[in-house]
Amino acid sequence: MKKVLFLSLILCFIGGTALAAGTVKIGLMGPMTGAWASEGQEMKQVLDLLADELNKEGGLLGKKVEILSEDDSGDPRQAALAAQRLSTRDIVAVIGTYGSSITEASQNIYDESEIIQVANGSTAIRLSEKGLKYFFRTCPRDDEQGKVAAQTVEKLGFKNVAILHDNTSYAKGLADEAKGLLKKKGINIVFYEALTPGERDFNAILTKLKAAKPDGVLFTGYYPEAGLLLRQAKDMGWNVPFIGGDATNHPDLVKIAGKDSAAGFYFLTAPLPKDLDTAEAKSFVAAYKKKYGSAPSSIYAVLAGDGFRVVVEAIKTTGSTDPNKVADYLHTKLKDFPGLTGKISFNEKGDRVGEVYRVYKVDAQGQFILQP
Amino acid sequence: MEQFFQQLTNGLAVGGIYALIALGYTMVYGVLKLINFAHGDLFTFGAYLGLTLLTSMALHEHLGPFLGVLVLAVMTMGLVGVMGIILDRVAYRPLRESPRLSAVVSALGASIFLQNTVMLIYGARFQVYPRNILPNIVINLFGLPIPLMRILILLTSVVMMAALYFFIQKTKIGTAIRAAAIDQGAARLMGINVDQVIMIVFLVGPALGGAAGLMVGLYYGQINFTMGWVYGLKAFTAAILGGIGNIPGAMVGGILLGVIEALGAAYISIAWKDGIAFLVLILILIVRPTGLLGERVAEKI
Repeated sequence: MKKVLFLSLILCFIGGTALAAGTVKIGLMGPMTGAWASEGQEMKQVLDLLADELNKEGGLLGKKVEILSEDDSGDPRQAALAAQRLSTRDIVAVIGTYGSSITEASQNIYDESEIIQVANGSTAIRLSEKGLKYFFRTCPRDDEQGKVAAQTVEKLGFKNVAILHDNTSYAKGLADEAKGLLKKKGINIVFYEALTPGERDFNAILTKLKAAKPDGVLFTGYYPEAGLLLRQAKDMGWNVPFIGGDATNHPDLVKIAGKDSAAGFYFLTAPLPKDLDTAEAKSFVAAYKKKYGSAPSSIYAVLAGDGFRVVVEAIKTTGSTDPNKVADYLHTKLKDFPGLTGKISFNEKGDRVGEVYRVYKVDAQGQFILQP
Repeated sequence: MEQFFQQLTNGLAVGGIYALIALGYTMVYGVLKLINFAHGDLFTFGAYLGLTLLTSMALHEHLGPFLGVLVLAVMTMGLVGVMGIILDRVAYRPLRESPRLSAVVSALGASIFLQNTVMLIYGARFQVYPRNILPNIVINLFGLPIPLMRILILLTSVVMMAALYFFIQKTKIGTAIRAAAIDQGAARLMGINVDQVIMIVFLVGPALGGAAGLMVGLYYGQINFTMGWVYGLKAFTAAILGGIGNIPGAMVGGILLGVIEALGAAYISIAWKDGIAFLVLILILIVRPTGLLGERVAEKI
């Protein structure tokens, strides 16, 4: 039995090197269909564009770069299948994916196959707490967001804050994180409860919230509920400032709330593509516009592009596609790499170091305006 | 105290919508002893058809807000009512003589089919009603600011319920419906066209559900293809609470459920409000197994 395993291993190895002689293969796992399809399709566009540019400049290690993409449908079960397919296709690294639970379903498959995974939208804390050697992400973690939320509350001068979440693991995690930090800063939490996502009438909750007399409300749930909360608060004639997490960053928020109710809403998010200010980002957005007609609409697609660029950088500098060398380089040697979304370094867990989150405010026209 | 009355009006408005949907469940159950699981999705269709008619015909601009919405409501109710009849013809009538369970499975299938139809036609993203179709007036009632929309929702539900009650009690067709509800075989022997009675039930029940869908769209603004599930479940609960098969019971159950939810959220915990509502349902069913106003013992489905 051992012999057979050994032989097949050798065969795999020979087969692997023989195939690799042609191109450097990098995988993309993203939600090409399903509820997040717009994210996945944009991720693919970004990677195709970056790979084209790289190949025009001579490729990587003298070879062309090839993007192999698989659809995870935004579904953990599909993601496991996609990861299995990708890991048999001799890829060096995989970029993706968007949702945290989707990434979680694929993490171990890539880890066992020794494939570098760079997630672009999965912010759940636990993903990088498992000690997986080949896992990285270009998006920040939820505890980072909690920190920025607490800072924003402090900056706006709120003394009494209400926190509302929706009992999903993301929203509750963020709410707990922010609650702890705010308490340390000596800010009163006058209200802490969860609403039921999918419902439409939040008048009872808002009436109760109003009675707690907060200076501001931190809502950590998603945009459909955020929009309704803003709208119903406005209809009640209650003008309290609301702050949302990055799950409220969606153009439909303004559609649901209406421009007059959404105006004045603050939310935290990684910067929108239109507000990226580095030279790399500007030339990238210009190239993207030229190829696809409009600027990228999702920051997570741009973060996928950053994942691709750091992997390319690591392969280029180490001169190798050995996952151990690449992972080691990303963990320890890559410092302040000029990414599309700002400087990129990774810590020993594979998390991105540094502050990524920005504060946005909705103006009277329903535009998302970056706050200084 | 002010908060209590504010929460009471919150609950009454939500309860009015539950009641309107619950009427559809209760009517179908009364006559066919069938839980029409697709009723929530007909409600969704009402919301979407209302939006389509609203944006394509702009009735509120030609007829003024109130008359425009009234005409819109009649059109939506008509369309959803016709859908209800088609649903009965396709999904339930072929199974009239089969075991009851077959019809229930067929109802679940119809629900999935309708939900996905809405998704394929209108897309999976949230759709939004134009804002301020009806003027956003706040009425001061004994020093309590209450939005006009909330009063209108409750009023519409009560009026529709009352109209339905008189239709069932006082008209010839209503008498036929009641007769068919008691004993279909005997009703047939008395010269009542039972198939026609069932058709009318499937016209009226879904029409009321469609009206509720339109109200939700107008009041809350945001609709999506899965909305029928939550509202359907709540309305079904309301129908059981009041005594399924009983029309005033559906009304009482709906409004009671809305008020329990609002007060539970206000004085106990928001996250537990569904739990509280269902706990009350269980307690009431222990004391009165047929629901508050129920007459017959609900048979097992």
